[in-house]
Amino acid sequence: MSGIVIGGVQKSFGVTTVLRGVSLEIAQGEFLSLVGPSGCGKTTLLRIIAGLETVGAGHVKISGRDVTALRAADRDVAMVFQNYALYPHLTVRQNIGVPLVMRRLSAAGRMPVLGGLLPGVAAKRREISADVERAAAMLGIGALLERKPAQLSGGQRQRVALGRAIVRHPHAFLMDEPLSNLDAALRVTTRAEIVALHRRVGASTVYVTHDQSEAMTMSDRVAVMMDGQILQVGTPEAIYTNPQDLRVARFIGSPSINTFAAEIGPDGAVMIGAVDSGLGSTGTGPAILAIRPENIAPAESGIAARIDHLEYLGESLLVHARLLEGNALVICRLPPEARQQIRRAETIHLRPDPAKALLFDGAGRRLSAHARMPEPVHG
Amino acid sequence: MADVALSGSPFNEPRLARRMRGDAGIAWLLTLPAILAYLAMILLPLLAVLALAFTDYEFGARGFRWIGLANFADMLSDRTFAASIRNTVIYCLFVAPLSIGIALALAVLIEAGARGRAFYRAVFFLPVVSLTVAMATAWQYLLHPSIGPVNAMLRMVGAGTPNWLGSSDWVIVSLGFIGVWENVGFNLVLFLAGLTAIPRELYAASEIDGARSGLSKFWLVTWPMLGPTMLFVIIITMTRSIRVFDTVQTLTQGGPNNASEVLLRTIYQEGFHYFRFGYSAAITLVFLVIVLGLMLIQTRLIDRRVHYG
Amino acid sequence: MQTRPLISDLPRLALLSLAALVVLAPYIWMVAVSVKPQDEVFKASLSLIPQKWALIENYGKVLKTIPIWTYIVNGLIVCFGILFFQILFAIPAAYALAKLNFRGRELVFGFVMLGLLIPYQTTALPLYLGIHQLGLLNSYTALIAPFTCSVFAIFLFRQFFRAIPDDLINAARIDGMGELSIVWRVIVPNAVPAATAFAIFSVVAHWNDLFWPLIVIQKGNLYTPAMGILAFRSVEAGEDYGALMAAALLVTAPLVLAFLFAQRRFIEGITMTGLKG
Repeated sequence: MSGIVIGGVQKSFGVTTVLRGVSLEIAQGEFLSLVGPSGCGKTTLLRIIAGLETVGAGHVKISGRDVTALRAADRDVAMVFQNYALYPHLTVRQNIGVPLVMRRLSAAGRMPVLGGLLPGVAAKRREISADVERAAAMLGIGALLERKPAQLSGGQRQRVALGRAIVRHPHAFLMDEPLSNLDAALRVTTRAEIVALHRRVGASTVYVTHDQSEAMTMSDRVAVMMDGQILQVGTPEAIYTNPQDLRVARFIGSPSINTFAAEIGPDGAVMIGAVDSGLGSTGTGPAILAIRPENIAPAESGIAARIDHLEYLGESLLVHARLLEGNALVICRLPPEARQQIRRAETIHLRPDPAKALLFDGAGRRLSAHARMPEPVHG
Repeated sequence: MADVALSGSPFNEPRLARRMRGDAGIAWLLTLPAILAYLAMILLPLLAVLALAFTDYEFGARGFRWIGLANFADMLSDRTFAASIRNTVIYCLFVAPLSIGIALALAVLIEAGARGRAFYRAVFFLPVVSLTVAMATAWQYLLHPSIGPVNAMLRMVGAGTPNWLGSSDWVIVSLGFIGVWENVGFNLVLFLAGLTAIPRELYAASEIDGARSGLSKFWLVTWPMLGPTMLFVIIITMTRSIRVFDTVQTLTQGGPNNASEVLLRTIYQEGFHYFRFGYSAAITLVFLVIVLGLMLIQTRLIDRRVHYG
Repeated sequence: MQTRPLISDLPRLALLSLAALVVLAPYIWMVAVSVKPQDEVFKASLSLIPQKWALIENYGKVLKTIPIWTYIVNGLIVCFGILFFQILFAIPAAYALAKLNFRGRELVFGFVMLGLLIPYQTTALPLYLGIHQLGLLNSYTALIAPFTCSVFAIFLFRQFFRAIPDDLINAARIDGMGELSIVWRVIVPNAVPAATAFAIFSVVAHWNDLFWPLIVIQKGNLYTPAMGILAFRSVEAGEDYGALMAAALLVTAPLVLAFLFAQRRFIEGITMTGLKG
């Protein structure tokens, strides 16, 4: 694997530890999202890959080369910043050209006016200009080349930032919440464009976001970070359907996963209060049963709950209910037709689909479980 | 403003009108003290200076004559005035670049690390809040030809010991040096404010883009981002140094032999020493035109070039 | 910001310290000479510590020869007198310009902008004539009156008041306040930060001013600190540096001490108002 390899990276700022030994491998050409709540260390990790922060311990390799001790300028990575970080005094053409100018021209050649008189500089400037135009055309901003960032819309600035990143064909492509400053509609279309761009450029990409839907829709793989650690790395499907940690299960998915305090009996039956969940496990003692809203539904018998409030979404119906015992909130996602059959303040009995239910121990670690009895699920 | 929205309704018309009239009344009432003070202290005196400049009025004289541009014509052959203009220009051209360059270098140095920021900032700012006349006196001692520490040090290394404030070759440089000392702290805090306003992200971006040395980051990010601050500082320093008076009046009284005569002192001297108000007013106008010219350059340039939006 | 290891920070600190030493030189020598006897001063040695202390001698001479406290009190009366009227006139006017709609507003503001361009030294001659006519030379009025209308204060407060939401003022109107009580109860309390900044700027400017006091004051009992130093120099023929430095130190101290106590506010105040040094 010759993409990006991160081994045992630790980092603290003063007394606060931000990263506690993070290891991660990103394959050549892969699109990996780092997702997690704010303050989890994802941006710090990205800046460490970029070379903008030093590591406390551990190493970073890009394309097989150990870059831990190298500075950002020597790592051959490109980065798109949250606020784009465009140079306000330069035109779009100059902004996109900066990485090429800094790399292809000597300090003397970069000097205004005088630099142009040096042999070869004019030819290189022409080359750079051609490369910039190619990148701009790819992003559809060819007409904006002579403008300054202040004259651009948010979406256009974002493209210029992308252009500055792709113009020099870097080994790795780093993005720090690049969509967070766009409005909702633009965010969705730009997502698809970034994915398409990634396919065309083919560079390994690390994409930092706190927005799980971005991570899920764009990535080959997703790494979920919390408290300075990577909890799980996997495909979006694996992260969603097969989380290895309760925190991952809770963070991914909207509305978030339902959890019930459960007890594993001596016979292996997982009980929620007096109700048999239909799930069997090898462990014993208290546990947590987690079930996604689409995998729990009303049935003849089950966990009794009172309907608090109904949310009609068009393609589905969200039922918010409170358990009679303990008053905890449960949300189930039903087909929209179910709206005819249930109403507010009714008491219903909820039964999780044992084939889809997830079991965790008290510390949030995933326990192996299996469906004990085939139970037909409503809908 | 909120009332305007209601004006469509006929019922509100009279109330609105009354309200607007009331608004105007109260607004004039609120501005009246300031307007009266403005008329008495700024506008009328300004018009009076304009008028005086074209008369031969002398303080205490019974009357005056309108003499057109004669005062300005006199300036052309007035050697004191010529010296005054020349010295003021030299002083500005000495003080502005040096105090700006040194302030920028110090600001970048202070910003480059975490240690001692508040301390150094306070030290460099100290001259701004110190009584100029008193500090000029301290400089007079430091620069004293025979007992001053500066020359004592120069003697130790065997260098020449000029009469800093007493020789016509050195006096404007010495005053200029004191001017730099006075102005550096002021410019420094303006630059510090400008530097902290530069987004950190831009430095990160420049590093990713391949700016390795501190110098290339300075040219790519710091220098252009300081553009507006820089222009502001240049104009401020120019207008401050063109008004040099306290140090000259304290230390040299324009001497020796007019070698440190400057504009404001000439105005003061002509007006309040020789009581030639007409002539003094004419020089005041020249002074005003120079200051206005600087301001004009500032607004022009800010609008045209350094506005990043 | 990450702290670099001390060793790599040393060149930076060394350069800054060198510059700081040059800036502090006049203060260091001022203190040193103010406690040296005259014969030691004339030895031109570079030693800062006197062999024989002349603290009482030098400072005693200052206090005996000139009424330095009177000068300092004069300075305070003038500075705060000016400040009082500047704020008193500027806040209501700035409020009207920022928040009230009235015919002529643009014209008034245009004159404010014009005033910003005029250095006060420009109007010295006619003001002197006027004050002379009124028989007010050698009075506090002569020192204070010309500065009572600060267009800069009006401009600064106006900018500041524009940032106050209209709805706050509309709410006050709905609550039944008239414009005058809005100014007094809503605007003035909100103007404190701008007023602090302006106060520092104004006091520093007028404490240091020499040009105008020199023109309108001839009587010793109305001297400002700056004039006091000049007077003391001419009395002493400017050669008793020990006493001269003592006097300089005494008149410099009030503002410098105030600065050292409220550094941040001073620097903010001066940069915020840097527009019109």
